[in-house]
Amino acid sequence: MAVDWLNPYHLQVASFVLINTLLGVSIYVTLATGQLSLGNAGFMSIGAYTTAILTTRHGFPMPAGIVAGSVVAALAGIAVGIPSLRLTGVYLAIATLGFGEVVRVVFVNWESLTGGAVGIAAIPQMGRELLASLRDAGFAPESIGLRGNQFISLSVFLILFASTLCAIGFFFRLGSSRVGRAYAAVRMDERAAEAAGIDTTYYKVLAFTQGAMLSGFAGALFAHATSYISPADFTYHRAVEILVFAVFGGSEHLLGPVFGAMLLTALPELLRSVSDYRYIVYGILLIAMMVFRPQGLIDPPLVNRLAGKKAAGGGSRDAA
Amino acid sequence: MLLDMRNVTMSFGGVTALRDVSFSVREGEILGLIGPNGAGKTTLFHVLTSMVSGASGDIVFRGERIEGLSTHRIIRRGVGRTFQNIRLFPRMTARENVMVGRHTRSRAGVWQSVLRTRAQRAEEDRIREKTDELLALVGLAGKEGSVASALPYGYQRRLEIARALACEPKLLLLDEPVAGMNESETREIHHLIRKVRDLGVTVILIEHDMSLVMQVCDRLVVLNFGEKIAEGTPEEIQNDPGVIVAYLGREEEGDDA
Repeated sequence: MAVDWLNPYHLQVASFVLINTLLGVSIYVTLATGQLSLGNAGFMSIGAYTTAILTTRHGFPMPAGIVAGSVVAALAGIAVGIPSLRLTGVYLAIATLGFGEVVRVVFVNWESLTGGAVGIAAIPQMGRELLASLRDAGFAPESIGLRGNQFISLSVFLILFASTLCAIGFFFRLGSSRVGRAYAAVRMDERAAEAAGIDTTYYKVLAFTQGAMLSGFAGALFAHATSYISPADFTYHRAVEILVFAVFGGSEHLLGPVFGAMLLTALPELLRSVSDYRYIVYGILLIAMMVFRPQGLIDPPLVNRLAGKKAAGGGSRDAA
Repeated sequence: MLLDMRNVTMSFGGVTALRDVSFSVREGEILGLIGPNGAGKTTLFHVLTSMVSGASGDIVFRGERIEGLSTHRIIRRGVGRTFQNIRLFPRMTARENVMVGRHTRSRAGVWQSVLRTRAQRAEEDRIREKTDELLALVGLAGKEGSVASALPYGYQRRLEIARALACEPKLLLLDEPVAGMNESETREIHHLIRKVRDLGVTVILIEHDMSLVMQVCDRLVVLNFGEKIAEGTPEEIQNDPGVIVAYLGREEEGDDA
């Protein structure tokens, strides 16, 4: 009894939705302290290349490669985050966007290490690896009614789903804690945060690093989901795409960019029937958002309403 | 002495905002810092909390020099402050504002927060308890869930005081806490300031209104054009010829005004 409805293509789209969700969370984490970083595509590529190189050339097991990719991205985050403390707003955005481009150009030109513009192929694919090791242990996916390629796509999806849930849970809990309050305080008024005894420098660098690390993690998962990466995956378009998740979904609540990433990644696929016009629809949607709901689809009052909590004295929030 | 300021000078470009200011604050007193507009009162608070850099002179707080330390370190050592133009976290509730103020008196880091360890949960409970206590103290019981920016002006001032008290300061710096308030609100705030002092917190109070300051403060320091021109009890200050000149001007200059 084959499960025919389980379409590997749909699962692949769903996997990209999840990777983009992780990227959406990563821009939110940095924004939580009021820092707009457009360097997350760069950090993503650092994570992806690190694990690709370690697993294809140095025989690292995949989980070790993913951890290494995240850590290297985090270290790059510290290195970029500290000098960036002097910058705010649009200047920070420009500097981090520049950082992403620099990383990409390095990857294009450092051919001996990165394969240049061609990129790195034959990266171990997590679904295939899992299937291979399960077959060695005597398990056949056919025994649960799945074809090999269905099993591969499904396991990729499930691994990404678990990773995304963990990341969302992590930052959700962080948000409602001492650290999350410090982030919010820094975002709303840095000087008042200092006066409340918060080491604003520490928390800004911490948030920046967490965002970089999560991007690197998403990049590493991306490498092992597609098994092929090239600098073209991490261009300026990717950086803007991540920004749009936050702009569209809303940057005031963790669920905003999560929702934005999900919708905006799935939408072009759903609109495939009108293929040539789908980016027009996408564009109109964004303009409409700017006009009618500049804070993004999801903001804290909406979440509170949906959660059934009535915020006493609500109705007056800053249109930030 | 709780606080000793010795020869503190602060210049912005060519303007000297504070010139060689020295005074001491005794434990448990309410010290009024008064003077005409632009006398350097707020600058003195900024210097005390390292919110401006470039000051010279010594500042000794509880026996240790604090000048040049970063702001959050000074706050951690026991200084709380409010701002002349209220700086709350606007989109947080009243409770959250005060909870942020507990930052230096709690310690949960990233992992404890994410894993919700027992220590972290106990700490959050204590923060909440202390926060509600403080909100009640300043008269905001029942307003815990209100968004700060939606609170009436007078409540915002009280909330800011509660947030400053949340770090359990030894010294509280209040920058014109009654600015823009009517007479009865002003009386309530002054009552609150005395209550805070009775809890063992020393207070430095910047205030414009001389008659009110006379009622609350134990001692006064008068600044004019960045210099200390007088120091003493309210009675002494009231009769100080220099102070009268600073506030009212000389008779000969009266024609210009």
